[in-house]
Amino acid sequence: MISRVAEGAFWMARYLERADTLARLLYVNNNFVLDVDLENTPRWQPLVVVAGEEERFSKVIPKGSEDDGEAVQAFLTWNQDNPSAILSSIESARENARGIREIISLEMWETINSLWLWMRSETARKLYQKERYEFYLHVRNSCSLFNGFALDTMLQSEAYHFMRLGASLERAGQTVRVVDVKYHAMGPTGQSVEYPMEVAQWQAILRSCSAIEPYFKVANGEMNGVRIAQFLLFDRHFSRSVLRSLDRSWNFLQLIRSNGKSTIGKNSANLLKQLRSDLSKLHMTEVVKKGLHPTLTRIVSAVGEVCMAVQQDYFFAVPLEVRRSRATTTRKPGKRA
Amino acid sequence: MANPPAKPTQQKVNEKMFAAYKPLAATYDEYFSGNSAPHPWTETILNHLESLGRDEFRARTQLASASFLQGGITFSVYSDSRGAEKIFPFDPIPRVINTREWKRIERGLKQRVEALNLFLNDIYGRQKILKDKAIPARIVLGSPVYRKEVQGIRPAKGNYIYVAGIDLVRDQQGTYRVLEDNVRVPSGVSYVLENRMVMKKVFPRLFNKVKVAPVEEYPTQLRKTITSTAKGTSMAVLTPGVYNSAYFEHSFLARRMGCDLVEGRDLTVVKNRVYAKTTQGLQRVDAIYRRIDDDFIDPAVFRKDSMIGVPGLMEAYAKGNVTLANAVGNGVADDKAIYPFVPEIIRYYLAEEPILEQVPTYICDRKEDLAFVTENIGKLVVKAVNEAGGYGMLVGPRATKREQSEFVKKVLAHPRNYIGQPLVELSACPTWFSRGPAPRRVDLRPFVLRGKDTWVLSGGLTRVALVQGSYVVNSSQGGGSKDTWVLTEEKP
Repeated sequence: MISRVAEGAFWMARYLERADTLARLLYVNNNFVLDVDLENTPRWQPLVVVAGEEERFSKVIPKGSEDDGEAVQAFLTWNQDNPSAILSSIESARENARGIREIISLEMWETINSLWLWMRSETARKLYQKERYEFYLHVRNSCSLFNGFALDTMLQSEAYHFMRLGASLERAGQTVRVVDVKYHAMGPTGQSVEYPMEVAQWQAILRSCSAIEPYFKVANGEMNGVRIAQFLLFDRHFSRSVLRSLDRSWNFLQLIRSNGKSTIGKNSANLLKQLRSDLSKLHMTEVVKKGLHPTLTRIVSAVGEVCMAVQQDYFFAVPLEVRRSRATTTRKPGKRA
Repeated sequence: MANPPAKPTQQKVNEKMFAAYKPLAATYDEYFSGNSAPHPWTETILNHLESLGRDEFRARTQLASASFLQGGITFSVYSDSRGAEKIFPFDPIPRVINTREWKRIERGLKQRVEALNLFLNDIYGRQKILKDKAIPARIVLGSPVYRKEVQGIRPAKGNYIYVAGIDLVRDQQGTYRVLEDNVRVPSGVSYVLENRMVMKKVFPRLFNKVKVAPVEEYPTQLRKTITSTAKGTSMAVLTPGVYNSAYFEHSFLARRMGCDLVEGRDLTVVKNRVYAKTTQGLQRVDAIYRRIDDDFIDPAVFRKDSMIGVPGLMEAYAKGNVTLANAVGNGVADDKAIYPFVPEIIRYYLAEEPILEQVPTYICDRKEDLAFVTENIGKLVVKAVNEAGGYGMLVGPRATKREQSEFVKKVLAHPRNYIGQPLVELSACPTWFSRGPAPRRVDLRPFVLRGKDTWVLSGGLTRVALVQGSYVVNSSQGGGSKDTWVLTEEKP
């Protein structure tokens, strides 16, 4: 398929995944803040930190109000100067969708276009003011609807594979960031004692990944930070876990590479293979000993490298054949009739 | 889907929608004849619309505009700096053409396009028509859109025109007249298809009562037409990109033809062959439905500052390695200063009388015509010959004295760039406003596909001047559109 179009599909899915993750986080955090009384613990600011938007945020927020829930939510939801805001992500997803309208289905297009129109409407603003949960739920539902339509109505060929590859890589990175919220909220994780407050925090993290019930199914009622982090990072059956997302990325990359027969994409495949193997060798106790945050940071940048490699392999590079023919033939300047 | 219509209450039935409708004076009305009785072929449609009642009709109109917005069926207006996407306003009352009229139009269109295609072959070939002095060489070769770069390059099978949009208007007597030809990159066909889809959604039952010729076949026919002269079947639609005003249409057509939509940067030319840059390497392209103007298509030959073209494309084309639809240089056949000669062109190449009338035209390049135009500017419509979209024109009778004299200055400065025509009292069609239907002026752009065979889309795009008293139907100037119904049986 046309490289530019593949790139559009890849990015459309990434932006939408971003909007979805952030909507989940904000949705859950509202709840969490009500649930527990956390004195001297930042409850909102961590969301800004993991979004990587601390600097921009500090410019728009008066000093001392960094943990103001309304300010953080407004910044992460509506602020058009913030490229990570839900509105910006939806806008970018929709702009990409518009540029590849010919490869997505009508249902997908209508879903993303409606979401975009809705975000810019008075209705959405009012709902945001009146029923915050409903608001974030609408965003999440629209994203899920889009993904469902993709599965049901789009041709399951290369464009779809690039979409899923983008969404899966993005999800891997996003889940790492969600786990990292914990670090920024509570500092380095203690190994043994789990304060109730910390449990509440981990529960919130699980809920942000829609992982509460899946977690209980595998954890035998255990509720501790190490186990939860392990689940979110390494569980091979949970759809939003990092390793599972990377497995999925691998599968779609394999499909794109005609099951590895194509030489194009080799670089991406090697990096991804390495990352998966590194992660599957990690032991949680060791991770905690070395510190959760540094490990998470490493994973985020490794995922970023895979994404860059995909860009290079499929979207940027001038295909080999052209390079060769440009080197061997000296083209005469266009002759005018 | 639309909910089943609510049963109209007695009161609503009595309150007739069309009771207050008054056809415009001295204007042909598409629904009503001179004595205000409906034309026989519009009766069933009118009765059905009446039976819905105002409220129901209003609700369905809203449903229609919601569909357009949700579907992102939009265009951009360049002068609007926000680059906002706008919906092309849609009017739910269809424009109706009866079978007999349409058959004649169809024959006339085929004849016209055939002659224009022969004309292009001749002009970029031996120029026999100029040597025979059937039309003045100065006007043809002096046209700014005559492309000497393609002189002597004959496209496969001499096919220059693959897609033509011929604009028709009806005068006071109801006679169809060609107003202008578009054989470069005519747009608007996606609205024809979308309008029909929305009409079926909004008035499903009406389609059971009258037989309307289908339009859905267009993309299939387009692909067939363009590849009919190509070396292979691999085809792409070439767009300037998402910010182009007709991007929606480019994407729409690519989708419906099942082919790639590419931008200039997605294509590359290697050894005079055109390739698409794909995720699996380079892939050969045999035919391009290009929606980029000649000027921008290849920076190596035409405008060097073009960022949207494909360097080397013209060489590949000259070698016969790629089909370009439409061909390069077609502008010389639809130049508004050539238009007055089209009847002569038809006679010259086909030895037939033109089937379709056209509008008398004064060519400002001629001394005596120029004098007439400047003296009578208040009575004429004066148009720049190579502008589209309703830009660069003056509707004399509706302009102020000052606007008129400013325009005269422009004309005198570049007479070759202007033509003058008497104002045609365009026919009017009932058009829905919140208070009820009112007459608004319409035109018609039928689409003709010409490859190995010639095929005409039934109906075409009806544009309507929504502003009261306006004669300008262009979307950029406050125009809207209507579904166009060619009836295949007059009375079911």
